[in-house]
Amino acid sequence: MTAISTEGLSKYFGSVKALDNLNLAVPENTVFGFLGPNGAGKTTTVKLLTGFSHPTSGKATVAGERVGGENLALRSKIGFMPDVPAFYDWMTGAEFMHFAGELHRLPSDKTRQRSAELLQLVELTKAGNRRIGTYSRGMRQRLGIAQALINRPEVLFMDEPTSALDPIGRREVLELVSRLKQSATIFMSTHILSDVERVCDMVGIINKGKLVVVSTVSDLHKKYTRSIFEIEFLEDARPFAASLQNLSWLADPQCVTENGQQIVRVRAVDMDQARRELPRLIGDSGLTMTRYELIVPNLEDIFMNVINGGNT
Amino acid sequence: MNGLLPLLKKELIEQLRTYRLLVVGGIFLFFGILTPLTLKFLPQIMKLSGEQIALDIPPPTAIQSLIEYAGTIGQVGVLVMVLVAMGTVANEIKHGTGLLTLSKPVTRAAFVFAKFLAMCATLLVSLMIASPVTYGYTVGLIGPASTAAFIGQNLLLAVFLLFCLAVTILFSALFKSSLAAGGISIGIIICLALVSTLPVIGGYLPGKLLTWGNNLLNGSGNSYWWALIVTVIIIGICLYLAQYVLKKKEI
Repeated sequence: MTAISTEGLSKYFGSVKALDNLNLAVPENTVFGFLGPNGAGKTTTVKLLTGFSHPTSGKATVAGERVGGENLALRSKIGFMPDVPAFYDWMTGAEFMHFAGELHRLPSDKTRQRSAELLQLVELTKAGNRRIGTYSRGMRQRLGIAQALINRPEVLFMDEPTSALDPIGRREVLELVSRLKQSATIFMSTHILSDVERVCDMVGIINKGKLVVVSTVSDLHKKYTRSIFEIEFLEDARPFAASLQNLSWLADPQCVTENGQQIVRVRAVDMDQARRELPRLIGDSGLTMTRYELIVPNLEDIFMNVINGGNT
Repeated sequence: MNGLLPLLKKELIEQLRTYRLLVVGGIFLFFGILTPLTLKFLPQIMKLSGEQIALDIPPPTAIQSLIEYAGTIGQVGVLVMVLVAMGTVANEIKHGTGLLTLSKPVTRAAFVFAKFLAMCATLLVSLMIASPVTYGYTVGLIGPASTAAFIGQNLLLAVFLLFCLAVTILFSALFKSSLAAGGISIGIIICLALVSTLPVIGGYLPGKLLTWGNNLLNGSGNSYWWALIVTVIIIGICLYLAQYVLKKKEI
């Protein structure tokens, strides 16, 4: 089942295309990472999908509900956490949770129980009776997550959920997101690539309003693996690098020195043959090998590659 | 109007916690006490200053005191209501608090109407505190006055101030800046007050409610039922437009 789907969703501000023809299908119980540089259209997309903004063209469905107008059924099925959640400073954290529950028409006893559970989950139980005006930015971020979960949403939208958090807070939020995918679909817009790598099942990369790539994280890694071998030696490896020059299944051999180590980098033209033959050639060279590695790009490399047009 | 009750509850608590009720009630009470006191003791104050002109001031009447009270609240109250309401929607959108509230299953109409009702409550409670005190001071210091006429005058004053409130809420929904909302609202209220002095058309406009209130105290002059009907209709239109604007607004 698809939790979020869009067809030709576009948003123009005058002549500026903030979002251009977005076609997306996010399966249920997926953590979907929506990546892009600042100004790429991430927040615009989140606002369109949550009904805070109206599309110029196209349509979207979230949790089986058509997005648009004042669709209260949609709002009762989603949770939303903006990038900088703003609260009524005169309320306490517990009061805000209760207020959120009342807006979702939850019975009073259930609201109280759920609020207590969620405040505990985001470690705000003690601070729950303090005025929100006294909360740190991280505490507000955690309260933002808690209030978005009060109605056990089917789809949870999180706009830059970890941007204001310290490393410990970030880890806690990401662990929470991992746990939540058992019961909800999570659409997480972010520019922190390591967060996506850590918790997301699927990733979409957006640039200048256009969706450039949608894929599972593992497929993305496979697709963008550059087939480069790195072999580190104790001795001078330049003759070995030169000997690889004329092999048709390898290309661009180089020998570089890094931290006193001789490193040979070579790209495989035929991966299977390279995997079979390269260890034998290393053995025949008589050199002392200290490392042999097939370089797998991290998401940051892939992101930069895609943003810089490597995908097209 | 999904969510009206919890939103209204939140707005009412906000009126208390942010001291709006205290401030508005305090201002109304201050002018409520000041008016009869000033009228009563002005000749003595002038005499103490040594000015002979004090002897020429006619003795104050209860009607004069109550009309002056309504006049003062009709001016200061407008300013207070505009100041209280000018950021009510604009600031929620600007600061992002409205984003979390409106992400829940509540209608924009409930959001606007809850704010109007809560500010109505602040206004009415403030009037209910200040007016009896003014009446008491007036009767005690100056002389008797018709209670029924004074209640009628206060009700008309309240409707006029609710009109100012509704206009300000509309502009607060329209503009991103609360200052712009307040400025435009004051401008429109002043323009309407000026037009209210014109013959024929003036009799249909909210400004005439204050004249009608004074007429009630004097026991003479016209009633302006059409002004009352038009004012209530304008209040309704302003609130409808405010929620409509908010519905169409990109937040």
